[in-house]
Parts: sequence; structure tokens; C-alpha cells
Amino acid sequence: MDELLLSKVRLGVVAELLDFDWVAFSELARSLNVSNGNLGAHMSKLLDAGYVEEEKSFVNRRPLTRYRLTNRGRDAFSTHVSQLQALLKAAT
Amino acid sequence: MERLDAAQARDHLEMIDRILSQSQPRLCSGGEYFVVWGIAGALITLIGHLAGAGLAAAGVLWCIPAVLVASVIFSVVRGRQKRQAVTRSSLVQREFFNVLVVTLGLAVIVDIAVFRIFPGIAGAAIWSVAEAIVLLYIGLHGNRRAQIGGSLIVVSLIVANFAAENAAAYVLAAGMLIGFAGFGLAELIAHD
Repeated sequence: MDELLLSKVRLGVVAELLDFDWVAFSELARSLNVSNGNLGAHMSKLLDAGYVEEEKSFVNRRPLTRYRLTNRGRDAFSTHVSQLQALLKAAT
Repeated sequence: MERLDAAQARDHLEMIDRILSQSQPRLCSGGEYFVVWGIAGALITLIGHLAGAGLAAAGVLWCIPAVLVASVIFSVVRGRQKRQAVTRSSLVQREFFNVLVVTLGLAVIVDIAVFRIFPGIAGAAIWSVAEAIVLLYIGLHGNRRAQIGGSLIVVSLIVANFAAENAAAYVLAAGMLIGFAGFGLAELIAHD
């Protein structure tokens, strides 16, 4: 199994990004109900693995950080979900 | 290396299901584009008809490129503003905008560069067809307002075909205004 996606927060981030082009950091933190610091640490790991892309900009002089899923992240998610389903099937 | 048991796997899969069922990406945001392009299409149709029928001076034809350029500038500027400020934009929305740009862009090119094959009212009809395609595409994704708007434009095309020759332009313009700009207005009201 993909160790990176064993974390519920990181798996949640990838699932949140699945249907979206870009999602802001603040939106992800709100949706997943995690602190900014906690989410920031998880996003760094996903960025390092090449699962997500980051875009930083300023809107009305306020910073806006947005993320989107890469093809690599999408493939990893798909494989991981298949493995989770297989694990569940094997256990029942 | 961490391991998951079946209960954790079930928990993770349930979370994914919950997130995906709640995400429901909106197909379109930006009713203002429809309002602007619906009005632009109707104006261009009416100006072309009035000038062609001798009801207005030929000089008013210069308003057509002005309306087109103003609409393009609005779309580009507004698109940049929205793109910068948006905190969540869906993949479906991007696909929808691609359809919008390709369809209406092609209609503009046909109206400008293929005027010998599609002269006068035929150019307006091409524009109506393009608008109907955009709305019915959105309608296919479940947007009832787009289904109604697209259907109204199709009806306007059929009515225009059987209407008196000098009334066809008014019917097509009405279809663009009510169907396309009306849809944009309804979207703006619904999402504000």
C-alpha cells in the first residue's frame, strides 16, 4: 500500500482534489477540519512526492495558496483505493 | 511500515465516499459571460438586420466589431479576475469553459471569415446554434435552467425559419436574449 496515503488527512486531501482543478489551502483546511499547521505538514509530503502541485499568488494583497492533483497523485489514489477495497473484501 | 486493518480500510473508504458525495462540483459559475454574450449576439443580429434592410445607416455596421471587441475584453479581464480569486474550481467547470470558448470562438470566426457562405441572417443563425450547443451541453450535466435556455434558442431558430423574412432577425435576437442572456441572469440570481 502507498504509505503516503495511509494518513487519513493526506488521503482526504487527495479525495478533495479529485474533482477539482484548483482548491485553496483554506478550503482544504475547512473541509477536512484540520489546523493550518497540521495541513501544511501533510501538504509538504504530498508536494515532495509529486502528488499535488502548488500555486501561490496574491489576491487583494492577501496570499492565496492553491493546490491541484497531478496525474501521479491521481494514479496513486486510484491504486490505493483498489487496495483498500481488496483488503476489505479479503476480510469479509 | 504502517499497516491498515479492515476496520481502518472501511473508515478510509467511507471518508472518500463522503468527500466525493459532498464535492458536487458546480458546472458553471460566471453567469455574467452569458449575459454579455447573449446581449452581444442579439445586438449584432439586430444591427446587421437594420443596416441590411436599410432601416439604419450603413455606418452602424462599425458597431459590430466594437461590440465583439468589448465582449472579448470583458471576458478576458473578468476571467483573469475570477481565476485569481477562486478558491475552488472544478474540472467539469474547466471542461465547460473549454466548450464555451471553442464553440463561440468558432461561431465568431465563421461569422467574420465565412460571410459569403453564411451571409446576413445565416450568420446570426450560426451564432444561435453555437449558443444552443453551449447551453444544451451544460443542460446535459443536469442544469435545468440551461436545458430551458438551450431549448428556447432552438425554438427561436425554428420559428425564425418559418417567420416572415424581415422578422427572422428579431426572433433570433429574442432567442439569444431570453435563452442565453436570460440563462446567465438566472445563474447570477441563483448563486448570489
